[in-house]
Amino acid sequence: MKGELVEEKVEIISKLTEQITEKFKRSGYEVNPKEISKRLELLMFEFKVPEREAIRTVNNYLMKELDVSREQLSMESPFIKIGEITRPNQWVSFKAKIVQLWDSTSPNVSQVGLVGDETGIIKFVTWAKSGKPEVAEGKSYIFRNLVTDSFGGRMQVNVNRNSEIEEIAEDVPLPPREIKVTGALIAIQQNSGLIQRCNECRRTVSKGICPVHGKTESYDDLRIKGVLDDGENFYEIILNEDNIKALTGIGLEEAKKIAKENLERGVVLQTLRNRLLGKYFTVNGTRGERYLIVNEIDFFRDELGEKIDELLTRLGAEQ
Amino acid sequence: MMMKREVAKRLFAFELNRSNHKISQNGEKTPIYVLTPTGEKCNRVFIVGVLLDKEEIRPDSNFWRMRVSDPTGVFVCTAGRYQPEALEVVLEIEPPEMVAIVGKVNVFEGESGTYISIRPEAVSIVESEARDYWVYETAQRTVERIERMETERDSEDIALAWQVYNPDLNEYRQKVREALIVIKEEFETFKVREEEKKEEVKEEKDADLELDELEFEEEEWDLSDILGE
Repeated sequence: MKGELVEEKVEIISKLTEQITEKFKRSGYEVNPKEISKRLELLMFEFKVPEREAIRTVNNYLMKELDVSREQLSMESPFIKIGEITRPNQWVSFKAKIVQLWDSTSPNVSQVGLVGDETGIIKFVTWAKSGKPEVAEGKSYIFRNLVTDSFGGRMQVNVNRNSEIEEIAEDVPLPPREIKVTGALIAIQQNSGLIQRCNECRRTVSKGICPVHGKTESYDDLRIKGVLDDGENFYEIILNEDNIKALTGIGLEEAKKIAKENLERGVVLQTLRNRLLGKYFTVNGTRGERYLIVNEIDFFRDELGEKIDELLTRLGAEQ
Repeated sequence: MMMKREVAKRLFAFELNRSNHKISQNGEKTPIYVLTPTGEKCNRVFIVGVLLDKEEIRPDSNFWRMRVSDPTGVFVCTAGRYQPEALEVVLEIEPPEMVAIVGKVNVFEGESGTYISIRPEAVSIVESEARDYWVYETAQRTVERIERMETERDSEDIALAWQVYNPDLNEYRQKVREALIVIKEEFETFKVREEEKKEEVKEEKDADLELDELEFEEEEWDLSDILGE
């Protein structure tokens, strides 16, 4: 096990060393890989400095030694599509359009909002100390050297000091907001079924307590918060009373009746789970930031015969 | 930090049961993945199949082992008190029954090898329609993976799958083919059956007519002799 660990470390160091050497070479500077490896190893494994910081420190050291500026090094991160961003701490560049700007809630953040290309939409944050110019809603830009990050379980990109933003005349297309997906309903969350909402703010009330208005008057509502999954992506969906009634015949009145007969509101959720969980649905919806807003939902029904034949052809003849 | 939800991957029992390579990243609470022979990295899976049987692993342990069959093999699922939602359904279900299960893949390293099982998060009873679509969907995903194994040999997970399993892709193609043919045949017999049903319904209607006539006659009979009145 220990041997493996050492091997792994050696591999990481040699990979990073190669990256750094390459980068300087591209700009016409020869650096000593042994020196780089030594410094990286010291920083990362002796002093446990995070990888990103270690790389930056070594870069800065080399730039000072060689007396070159960042600009001369032309350190450009690879161009990618927004849909490809899945991991934090990657340096990326892309061409994208500003979808929406939000009000910044922190003095450290100069701008925050959504940016997108035809493959996806992602949140971006421009740090105040990055000193970058502001972007405008609806305009397209080339973003260079942003860092990917993960916040609250979702990916975002951060504009930092080393980033570059360049406005372009081109209009970058965005992904269609209206989508149709077919997938299995693999989860129905606990806060689904016959719920209660605050009379004042419509927020869900649990045990008579509204998160904003405290002890409050409430009214009944029927909803499902669930996850539709097609094996490639998952979509968080919310079904309202109309959707639920169309699928199950159970509307708010029926749900209340079920709860009354069983003296237990939870039975409604149980009934809905029995009827809907694990089944396939087709949803026409509008993509929101987190949820897919359901316009239409129905049980999936399709003639599979032809599709199966197509797939068999794709598989080719038996060998 | 909240973790990003894992997509429920689709794969046949044949493939899952041949998967034994765990991938875990450094760091606390990072998900554990199982790499499959066609290069899929999965943490969560969704399956639809026939629940063949269920048994409590030890009496009163409230820990149940289930065997769920698809056209290519059998998934082993284990549910215990940490999966209360799933357990509730498991306790009530009587095999054989068509079920849909979503759960986490679990690799157990024993002395005589590794065992793979699914820890259900949710279990539900479904109709054969869901199973048919699942087989189609899973076949499609598997074909896509097989093709990527051939064309994207340099991609990280695929390179690792070749290195760890060196799979015979034709064997996987054959399994997919068999699975598709099973549901295709079912469709065809189903169609015939539907037509037969229609015929039957028609015949029943005819029979009903005759019955009405009989009943009518019955009312006409004077039963007083037999009843001795």
